[in-house]
Amino acid sequence: MDKKMKETILNPIFKGNPITVLVLGICSSLAVTVTMKGALVMALSVMVVTGISSLILSCLRKTIPGRVRIIVQLVVVAMMVILVDQILKSFEVTFPIDKQLSVYISLIITNCIVMGRIEAFALANKPIPSLLDGLANGAGYGMILLIVAFFRELLGSGTLFGIDILNRFGYVANNLVILPPFALILLGCIVWVQRSIQKDLQEK
Amino acid sequence: MEYISLFVKSIFVDNMIFAYFLGMCSYLAVSKNVKTASGLGLAVIFVLLVTVPVNYLLNKYVLGPDAIIEGVDLSFLSVIIFIAVIAAIVQIVEMVVERYAPSLYSALGIFLPLIAVNCAILGGALFMQQKDFANVGESAVYALGSGCGWFLAIVTLAAIREKMSYSNVPAPLKGLGITFITVGLMGIAFMAFMGISL
Amino acid sequence: MNTNSNLYTVIYTSVVVVIVAGVLAFVSQSLKDRQEANEKAETISQMLTAGGFGTKSDFQAMGNAKVLETYASEISEAFTVNTEGQKVGDLDLASCQVFSPKQLKAQNYNIRDGKAFAIPVFVFKNGITVVPVYGAGLWGPVWGYIAFNNDGVSIHGAYFDHESETAGLGARIKDDPSFQAEFTDELADFSSANVFDIVKGGAPKDENGKSVIDNQIDAISGATMTSRGLDAAIDTWLGAYSAYFLSTKGQGNDSNAEKED
Repeated sequence: MDKKMKETILNPIFKGNPITVLVLGICSSLAVTVTMKGALVMALSVMVVTGISSLILSCLRKTIPGRVRIIVQLVVVAMMVILVDQILKSFEVTFPIDKQLSVYISLIITNCIVMGRIEAFALANKPIPSLLDGLANGAGYGMILLIVAFFRELLGSGTLFGIDILNRFGYVANNLVILPPFALILLGCIVWVQRSIQKDLQEK
Repeated sequence: MEYISLFVKSIFVDNMIFAYFLGMCSYLAVSKNVKTASGLGLAVIFVLLVTVPVNYLLNKYVLGPDAIIEGVDLSFLSVIIFIAVIAAIVQIVEMVVERYAPSLYSALGIFLPLIAVNCAILGGALFMQQKDFANVGESAVYALGSGCGWFLAIVTLAAIREKMSYSNVPAPLKGLGITFITVGLMGIAFMAFMGISL
Repeated sequence: MNTNSNLYTVIYTSVVVVIVAGVLAFVSQSLKDRQEANEKAETISQMLTAGGFGTKSDFQAMGNAKVLETYASEISEAFTVNTEGQKVGDLDLASCQVFSPKQLKAQNYNIRDGKAFAIPVFVFKNGITVVPVYGAGLWGPVWGYIAFNNDGVSIHGAYFDHESETAGLGARIKDDPSFQAEFTDELADFSSANVFDIVKGGAPKDENGKSVIDNQIDAISGATMTSRGLDAAIDTWLGAYSAYFLSTKGQGNDSNAEKED
């Protein structure tokens, strides 16, 4: 059991990473990787949403009528997302970040990771492992987000978390890195690195 | 004239894929050949064209501040209403198409259920809310333009991927990796449209 | 239990929907005040930044309560004006009543469509007058506050915000203090349609890097669309305020003479 738990937690972060291996949840995410702060808040929000909605739906799994399964899932996920959004708006610290993330917080609803993990895991497992699975998948997603954001903020603005790192050495910020397409190129490179190390993931 | 510029702008400048990364999951999964890609693309245009104006009306006449009852702002419910409307409309469209246009159904059918959770559709509704159009016509033109932009993006990527399957890509980059990079480069090309004045 | 019967499905769905709607309504009601307070403090801190009462990061660090306190101690008058520049209403000073971006948006429609409008003017005790501007950038709305000195034509400072401009490019209207600093000491030309210009490719400059033409500053390079949108927003809104400024300060466009003072 212990080993299985460990597997549940570690697998989504590395070998079964939702973004680079399962190709889920790229939709709403890359636009928020311009700054570390935005990426961190987004990552935590996704973790909370996947974790808790997995937990709720896993508790309900025996009672959900088959025909409205997807609707019930959507409603629960949407509720969690709205709660996260409302809470972020309510604190002085997170208010400006919520403003920066704008519609992308709401788009967590259609983030395939959330629905994908509920369908694939939470509806077939007990609540606690489902919670862990949700959190771990959120974390795996968040890790990629932070890696992308690290390069984009460092090279694009010369800062990290808003603190000047490169500019003091006369670095001229690169505008290309800030533009949306660069996030995809960076993601391609991350996939490249990961698949060079884990050769069994290579296609064909 | 304003409609035309809005249409062109939502295809090229505000492109769903290249500027907002919306609908990426199905975009990457269903772009292996041009035929299925254009099927999904058409389905996205169709669903956007139906859902965005409906959501626009709901947003304006039900959810807005003071819309139903003076002093009540239901906008916190907007996301949940949008997604419910989208799920319901997709279901209805699927049934109607199956009943009255079986040939269209066999072309679009399998994609329709996929679309309910496509971020491009919900994104269309949310951006519609943010952009704050003056009337239903504008929101419909925006929906049509965004759908066409998505269609254009997925068909071009599918065409490139079809050709790319013959090229010699480094093993770790094969498939997903090179696709990401290709989409990135296509996005940079689309950035050129940002400068046009409309 | 048969979880597939029609009755069960309907009851189950209704119960879920009612519970969810209840939870959301409760949360949104109980957090509403905090959210509105945050938004108000944000608006006020932007006005104070434009007016030169501190920097945006100072206000950020200060917390909402202190921001409101600073505002309350500095403000002398806040009211709304109409097309003819006449005062039409008062804003409550005790509760720090301001115009949220949403309200600015509503007024923006009125100005654009040539309807009657009531736009806010904030006069501070040291004679500085702060007015908002609002318009469309590249991706979404841009807005901001421009502070005028006592003479009613020279600009004391400015602060801009946006909803979704490209970070590092268009977003610099908010993040780049040097762009906002360019506004300082420029003169608005209320008697022309081009009240103020943001020029691409460089406004003519003197040896100190200050633009020579009184109502022109440089656009942000690489952010043409955002700059153009901001320029239009400023022209529209300052145009709407021109009647107020011309009537209260009684100054025309003799801006060079003004600069000698």
